[in-house]
Amino acid sequence: MIPAEGTAAPRPPSDEASSDVAGSGITGRDVAGSGVTGRDVARPGITGRDVAGLLFAAEMYGVQLDQLAAVLRVSESRARAIAARWRRQRYAESARLGPGAPWLWLTRAGLASCGLPYTCAPPALSRLAHIRAVAAVRLALESASGYRAAGAYWRSERRLRARLGGRVGLRDHLPDGEVHWPDAAPVAWAGECWAVEAELTRKTVSRTAAIMGELLSRTGDYGCAAADAAVPGRPPRHARVLYLCSPAARPTVIRAREALGSAAARVEIRALPPGAAMEPAVRPAAGQQAARQPSTGQPSTGQPSTGQPSSGQPGTAR
Amino acid sequence: MISRYVSLLAVRSAARGALRLIRLAAAAALIVAAAPVSLVAAGSATAAWLRGWPPGRLYRAAAGCLPMVVVWLAATAVATRSWRSVAAAPYLAWLAMWHHAAAGSYPDAAAIIAPAAVPLGLLAGGLAWSYRIRSMETGSGGLSPGSAVAFDWRQWRHQVRSARAMIAAPGSLPLTTQNGAVVAGAVIRAIGHQAGRVAEIPYPRMRSHQVVIGTTGTGKTTLLLRLWAGFMATALRRHAAGLGHPPLLVVLDCKGGADARRIADRARRVLRGAGARATAIWPDEASLSLWTLPPRQLTTTLLDLIEHGTGAAAYYADVMEAVVALAVDAPCGPPAGAADFLARLDPGWLNLAYAAGRNDSDLALVRSAARQFGDIALRFRTLFRRLGGGLDGPGGFGDADAWYCILEGTAEISVAEGQARALVDLLASYAAGPDGSGQAREILLAVDEFSAVSRRLPIWQLYERARSLGLAVQVSAQSWQGLAADDDERYRIAASADGGIWLLRTPYPEPVTGLAGTRKLVDTTRRLLGVPIWGHQGTSRIASAPVADPALIRSLDVGQVAYIYRGGVTFIQVKRLIGGPAALAAPARATAPQPGLAAHGQLPQGPPAGREPDVSEPDDGEPDVSEPDVSELLDEAFGAEAGP
Repeated sequence: MIPAEGTAAPRPPSDEASSDVAGSGITGRDVAGSGVTGRDVARPGITGRDVAGLLFAAEMYGVQLDQLAAVLRVSESRARAIAARWRRQRYAESARLGPGAPWLWLTRAGLASCGLPYTCAPPALSRLAHIRAVAAVRLALESASGYRAAGAYWRSERRLRARLGGRVGLRDHLPDGEVHWPDAAPVAWAGECWAVEAELTRKTVSRTAAIMGELLSRTGDYGCAAADAAVPGRPPRHARVLYLCSPAARPTVIRAREALGSAAARVEIRALPPGAAMEPAVRPAAGQQAARQPSTGQPSTGQPSTGQPSSGQPGTAR
Repeated sequence: MISRYVSLLAVRSAARGALRLIRLAAAAALIVAAAPVSLVAAGSATAAWLRGWPPGRLYRAAAGCLPMVVVWLAATAVATRSWRSVAAAPYLAWLAMWHHAAAGSYPDAAAIIAPAAVPLGLLAGGLAWSYRIRSMETGSGGLSPGSAVAFDWRQWRHQVRSARAMIAAPGSLPLTTQNGAVVAGAVIRAIGHQAGRVAEIPYPRMRSHQVVIGTTGTGKTTLLLRLWAGFMATALRRHAAGLGHPPLLVVLDCKGGADARRIADRARRVLRGAGARATAIWPDEASLSLWTLPPRQLTTTLLDLIEHGTGAAAYYADVMEAVVALAVDAPCGPPAGAADFLARLDPGWLNLAYAAGRNDSDLALVRSAARQFGDIALRFRTLFRRLGGGLDGPGGFGDADAWYCILEGTAEISVAEGQARALVDLLASYAAGPDGSGQAREILLAVDEFSAVSRRLPIWQLYERARSLGLAVQVSAQSWQGLAADDDERYRIAASADGGIWLLRTPYPEPVTGLAGTRKLVDTTRRLLGVPIWGHQGTSRIASAPVADPALIRSLDVGQVAYIYRGGVTFIQVKRLIGGPAALAAPARATAPQPGLAAHGQLPQGPPAGREPDVSEPDDGEPDVSEPDVSELLDEAFGAEAGP
């Protein structure tokens, strides 16, 4: 259950709209995690793997087919076939929106099947690079053994925005995702909630520091009463903020963290994972790719990457 | 005969003198006999005089002693098991007190008589203090003609000193009370209002129209910030409790300049402390869109933004109205921005737009006004350049809890007037929005330094229809004359202020104090026996005096305000709010709970309701225990952390 607004360590919101997929009694996390087969799902023609992919695409606004292949743990050609089947079933639409693999997003019927109250829309062109980067961050994090062992939960920006119900204030900043660590998880940071930010483009140091400060000082859940959003003295909502940066944005983020003072200890900075960029500027060496795969546990997406956004990609929102 | 009459007079005088002596002796004997009561009464009356307390405070203190009396009598009843002993307990205590005093055991004597003497003494002190105040108010007390005036002035100084001591005490005055009233400060003096120590303004009055008048440097901004923060805190709490809609505070600072920006920053910090999530500062950091107005309202607002002449100029005003209506009501929909609107002020564009719909009358209108299009476009291009981009951007009042709008009323009066007009139209449209979004907000519109825009902002019109829109208006000006262009409008604004009038020091308070009305009091004339001694013979009559003394208003110090409401006035020493930066709270601990924190999964107690937001040292979020190391997980997922 979600703890009361303003609690220190929010749990995975299992009572939210998508927790029970189409009334099947199977939560998205169960499906995405492990152990659910197609037989468990009542809807004809839809397997547990399909549910995991549909939920991923819905939560992330949309997904490129190479990343969808990673989610479904299949090859890219198989992912194309699955996407074609979803299109036939009117659960999803796909199109080549930008560089790289085609994009897939859920239709209104697909969102309704998943029980998600989101507005149906294709991913915005200006946000394609950012959406891809965040999806790559989620995939990389979910592939880590500690994440799987803890049964952590990714709460997407789209879900946070839906909780706000269109009431995003001028200075409200939504993280690109939240990671909720269950209380009983076998990790030292069990019970914590992390905010995740993917930074592709460089902002000003003051703006970045302000965002960090807001994330670190927030005490209430998104969508809570304004009076509970940041109450001095209450435990913060986000125990840490995890920044995944492109090489261009990294210096700014580091300087912003230094400006926070002692709160900087709660900000973790890492490079964006391979495959986060829309279109690679340079193909990496085969050895580098091969060396990366075993550690992340990600299947080959067929998309070489450098972790650096290409210059020709559409504008990024962040 | 004469000697007999003289003797009679002498005997009468002697008898009167003797009678007076006997009375004095009896009074002295009573005072001595009831020495403990006399001492408490004298002490309490002196304290009330020194602190400027009303007599009611002594009465309440006496009532507060009643539990002590009850316990004392109950203990006596239990010990003696006799009702007669209980009835005789005060007398017996009095006797025992004298015995102990005679034996030199003064602490024992005081302890024995205290349960009876303290409440009686406080009551007697209150009565004596009340008699003294009343005799001075009516002019029947005092030794000299100036005694009453000196007494009143001295009491004012004492009351101010007490009020200042109260607001200086940390934590003595919350921002709001438990029942949602806004605390403005400490009460100095109340006439016609219930006298209390804390000036509480019930929340419904914050949802009514108010007027604030005070010259520069009298603490007007401090008062306004406190009222805004109190409104925000109470409204948010009510909304959280499901008792009301979320609040929206819109401030129009019509002065502008660097001072306005400094106040805006202070307001943002104070409002954040009161719970406001987002405070938008217009036009510096946020923008609004004039083009979200309904087409008919947009046409009216655009026309009102441009000054028209009279006489022959009325023809051009009509032409302009027709052209603007054509541009706004085009079949393709209203314009999305200033550039779009200006592009439509072209005969070719309008011909094309209306040709598809076969609107012959509209096309004829375009042809007949073709020669004026250039002039009209020029006027609007100039207008939009002067207004700036603040009204052309995305955004609406629903995006933030509070909007602080800075209008450059000092530097560019005509621009500020236009901006104020547009902002008020936008807010009224938002409040009466067709989607009902505005009606689901409790809106307070505060117009500061109203004199800068009062020429073209008919706020009294908004006053009269604001109630139905759920919108309260708070107008502040430096003087009575700054409220509006003429006396008729000024009286309309002041008379509609059913939430009260806040009057700070101002050189011409008479029109406002007149609205407070008069009160009846006893006026006594006495014979002057000699310089400067008065006799005890004279006459009294009922006279009328103003409830709010204009002379007292003129002499108010910084931070002192007279709150006029329903024929009464309360003089208040306003407590200053200091906004702090957003604090970073300490991180939660799942594995190592900190002492003092609530158990895991439970909320620690938040600040009490109405806690003063002027808090506090920001918590820098420094952890007391080291963070769990997550580098192994992150290294696995994203690779090792490298330097910049």
